[in-house]
Amino acid sequence: MSQVSSNHSLESAWRGGVSPFAVSWRKLMMWLFIITDGLLFAGLLAGYGFVRLASPQWPNRAEIFHLDFIALMTFILITSSATMATAVGAARQGRLQTAFWFVLLTILGGLGFLSCQAYEWGKLIGEGARLSSNPWGVPLFSAAFFIITGFHGSHVLTGVLVLSVVAWRAWRRRVSSEGVELAGLYWHFVDLVWVFIFTLFYLI
Amino acid sequence: MSETHRASGYRIYWIVWFILLVVTVGMMFLGTTALTRILILVLLAGMLLKASLIGGYFMHLRFERPILVVIVAVGILATAGVLFFLIAPDGVRVLNASGHGDLNIGGGR
Repeated sequence: MSQVSSNHSLESAWRGGVSPFAVSWRKLMMWLFIITDGLLFAGLLAGYGFVRLASPQWPNRAEIFHLDFIALMTFILITSSATMATAVGAARQGRLQTAFWFVLLTILGGLGFLSCQAYEWGKLIGEGARLSSNPWGVPLFSAAFFIITGFHGSHVLTGVLVLSVVAWRAWRRRVSSEGVELAGLYWHFVDLVWVFIFTLFYLI
Repeated sequence: MSETHRASGYRIYWIVWFILLVVTVGMMFLGTTALTRILILVLLAGMLLKASLIGGYFMHLRFERPILVVIVAVGILATAGVLFFLIAPDGVRVLNASGHGDLNIGGGR
């Protein structure tokens, strides 16, 4: 009897017309996208780990980067994640005007982060860092830096563009709470990736 | 919905924000000191704590069905872990083959 009821409940969860994960199709697809995009960054960071372990020497990050400045970038991104979460909460409550303002704050945070990243890139390029060489004796160091932070920065830029559309639609009261939530998931993912980059590249 | 309820609905995000900042500042402080293996483990633990807070509260995984949490955790963390721990020994082998056998985790610090 228990075997029959177990098979029946398994069938009923997957017979169609129901949501076994208790989320909408859109949300599930966004999560699957986040997982696959996360694996892209995992591959990049695993490759960086290989290069680090295979190199007899690695430049001292404290001498190359201003870690206070990197901390500022981290602060900006974490704060933008909090404003985005607040925007999602407001959208769920039907308060689209509040959601609009917090999405706007999130966009400002994203632009601030990108500005800081651009400044950092400019400083390193000015010091002679290129994809294939740098003045610190380990060519792969600058390659790893530009590729990893460039890939992440492109995600931040995409997020800013997506949020701009969400903000516009929220202003016009044409966005659903789910739309804001999906954009929020992507933005939090971008912040999540930075947590790993900040620790693995700048600190360790 | 009352203003108090709305405010308390957002408060959890800003509490998490504050915890994330505190952990980040702590990690920054530790990261500027001489790296030891223990310190690296502490930094990695801080990293995973921050990731859990962002995933759990900002991305609302704490309030989703466990099966979704398992898919995300296995999909990203477990796979990334397997990826890294399969690749990392090759890095050490390359280092040893080049004649520089001392593992230099801390780099130029």
